[in-house]
Amino acid sequence: MQKILVWDLPVRLGHWLMVGGFALAWLTGDSETFRLVHVIAGATVLAVASFRLPWGFIGSRYARFVDFVRGPTRVRSYAMSLLKLQPEHHVGHNPAGGWAIVLLLGLGILTGLAGWAIYNDIGGHWLEELHEGLAAAMLTVVIVHVAGVVSGSLVHGENLVRAMVNGYKRGAPEAAIRSARPLAAGLLLGWVALACWWIAN
Amino acid sequence: MRTLPPLILLLASLAGHAETPQQIGKIYATEAATQQAGFTPSAKRGEAFFRQRFAQNDKMPACTSCHTDNPLNAGQHAVTGKAIRPLAVAANGERFSDPAKVEKWFGRNCKEVVGRACTPGEKADFVAYMSEVR
Repeated sequence: MQKILVWDLPVRLGHWLMVGGFALAWLTGDSETFRLVHVIAGATVLAVASFRLPWGFIGSRYARFVDFVRGPTRVRSYAMSLLKLQPEHHVGHNPAGGWAIVLLLGLGILTGLAGWAIYNDIGGHWLEELHEGLAAAMLTVVIVHVAGVVSGSLVHGENLVRAMVNGYKRGAPEAAIRSARPLAAGLLLGWVALACWWIAN
Repeated sequence: MRTLPPLILLLASLAGHAETPQQIGKIYATEAATQQAGFTPSAKRGEAFFRQRFAQNDKMPACTSCHTDNPLNAGQHAVTGKAIRPLAVAANGERFSDPAKVEKWFGRNCKEVVGRACTPGEKADFVAYMSEVR
């Protein structure tokens, strides 16, 4: 086992853009003064999540949904292995992390679309309530996800936050991805910029 | 088109909390009376409050920063430039009909523009002004 490249650049960049976008959107949610900041932060989340869907089919090995979306039995057995302090090691996302991704992408898209509609005066009060409920659900998943990452890192003895920054995890050399896909990362940045510009205007 | 008003009433009753501005004003007035004996809502005080420059916020020093000097007119968001439908009930029948929505927006806007929570008396006066202004 050695350090191998696991996360491609679009996955890592998208992850941290989503973190920044969601945090900023959450903090500015009640403010009219920072309404534009809120809208741009939300547009970032929406753009990243909508990019991630096709990337889950055409991205590198560990970015693909088939690599990490698992049924409830596998999630339970992973959670049990963590509790017993004998964690199953996954080169890519573990089954719990996989569900965090699916939920956060889904909630990110729904919250973003609801926010976009409100900003364009479609829907009214009930849509505002829905937008806030979805955002609160998203925060709940974020908290569970972060708790899982911290406990997973401790139990595995592998810093998963750093892995999401530099892309390297423990694994067999033949399990590594060949390219960080920098071109697609550039495309992601362009897509986010375009979405922010278009939604804020 | 004749089926539209009953349909709207049905939807409003499904939402479960459609009220009139008078009912909503009364909720605040009753609350204010518990703090200040003999309180009666005043549209005139409400208007003064609407026009007051709180100057807590550079971009939105007063209610009028977004809602314009005339609540019968459509407003414009001071930051985003987005249109805001009129506050006055005479110009926008949807105003002050949903207690949860009214309370939510008093909460947000008072904090940001007035710099503190509005008192029940201020809310009762404000609702009175917006209900009566023609």
